[in-house]
Amino acid sequence: MTLLALSFTLVFVFITMFVSYWKKLDLERSIAISCIRAAVQLLAIGYVLHYVFETDHIGFIVAIIGVMIAVASWNAAKRGKGMSGVFWRIALTIASMEAFMMLFLLGLGLIEPTPQYIIPLSGMTIGNAMVVAGLFTTSVRRELASSRGEIETLLALGASTGQALQGALKRAVKFSLIPTIDSLKTVGLVQLPGMMTGMIIAGADPVEAVRYQILILFSHAASAAMTSMLLSMLYPKLLMTRDLRVRQLPED
Amino acid sequence: MEIEGLGKRIATDEAGGLRTLFHGLSAVIREPASIAVMGASGQGKSTLLRMLACLETIDEGDVRLNGQSFRQSDIREWRMDVSYVAQQAVMLPGTVDFNLRTVSRLHGATYEERLASELMERCGLGGMPGAKQATELSGGEKQRLALVRSLLLRPQVLLLDEVTASLDEENSRYVEELLLERHRSEGTTLIWVTHQPEQAHRVAPVHWTLAGGRITESGVAR
Repeated sequence: MTLLALSFTLVFVFITMFVSYWKKLDLERSIAISCIRAAVQLLAIGYVLHYVFETDHIGFIVAIIGVMIAVASWNAAKRGKGMSGVFWRIALTIASMEAFMMLFLLGLGLIEPTPQYIIPLSGMTIGNAMVVAGLFTTSVRRELASSRGEIETLLALGASTGQALQGALKRAVKFSLIPTIDSLKTVGLVQLPGMMTGMIIAGADPVEAVRYQILILFSHAASAAMTSMLLSMLYPKLLMTRDLRVRQLPED
Repeated sequence: MEIEGLGKRIATDEAGGLRTLFHGLSAVIREPASIAVMGASGQGKSTLLRMLACLETIDEGDVRLNGQSFRQSDIREWRMDVSYVAQQAVMLPGTVDFNLRTVSRLHGATYEERLASELMERCGLGGMPGAKQATELSGGEKQRLALVRSLLLRPQVLLLDEVTASLDEENSRYVEELLLERHRSEGTTLIWVTHQPEQAHRVAPVHWTLAGGRITESGVAR
């Protein structure tokens, strides 16, 4: 794609901004900044990947994955206002997911141990875990507010932290997995996933593209479930004081 | 139970402003006792009960049960001995039976089915099907079930935060009788927050009036 052809895609941005202006949504500035950021970030990573693929050095791969985990954790941790230590818990969870996925995929020989496979798949795994961690954190905060009566009732009956939070955490895990499960149900019928579409556009055999997409979908479903379950084990201390009282979290 | 120099400050605004609700609140409860706590709204009656159950931070002072401070106690055991029943009964998602079995489930104890049936009967809930969803019960039924759930703990002190406020006269009397019977037979100490002087006279020979952060104790001949 030439740069001139690429520049024509700005038409879509202008349409979005026009709709915002016309309907007085006051989103023009946010849309412009987000689009510029997306373009700059993608172009930058394009050049970085080009260099990393050429040099094929493990240090670069580790550094890129490290940055991805840090940015993803920082972004998801923004949902945990007032929850001191939420960043490290999310970072530990996402890093564990990434390590597990890569060990599994590389160990079973499902992907080749080259930057071309490791970096994009890591990006997808980390991005997916970030979305689930953000949803889980938001949901936990809502549950803590809406189920306060239930939690305090259990505490008043002598429940432990785990027993008092069990119902609320279970509901938060369930909520955070809804997009993953819905996406598994409708994939191929409603949406053709990005990776598969990209491979087909780039000339790959559609059946081969589908195989990779299935691999991604299943690994994402597993990482989503493990992300929210791991967080549900790491969060109770953020939600309850040492003397078993519900913490008062600031409103979003 | 001994309450010694209890102090509580509460937030008055989001900017971190604080107001002293109590300061130096002291009282000795000679068990088994039945005490009615009265006072105008906003004097901290519910907060005091929640503090005694360790559901609210105690900013200063101490509460001792059988000579042991709450600070030296296991909080879970403390709450089993000093059980709080809220004004708005909260049912756990599930059936009536599931709610009744909560205490035994939480503490890995045997479910006292006979006692549960007896208490349900005494509360006027004798015919209640165990398979019924607890969230579908009326406000009064929920309140009585919550009370039975707490009584199954066999607490030493029961903190009752306007527990009959949502009940009609007849059911209110059922509950009062049931609690007083537990007080007489099991020696359960009852601390009732109430806005009704008649009820206070019926259920408690000792009255605490909370005003200006102080307790005034008065004895009433029954």
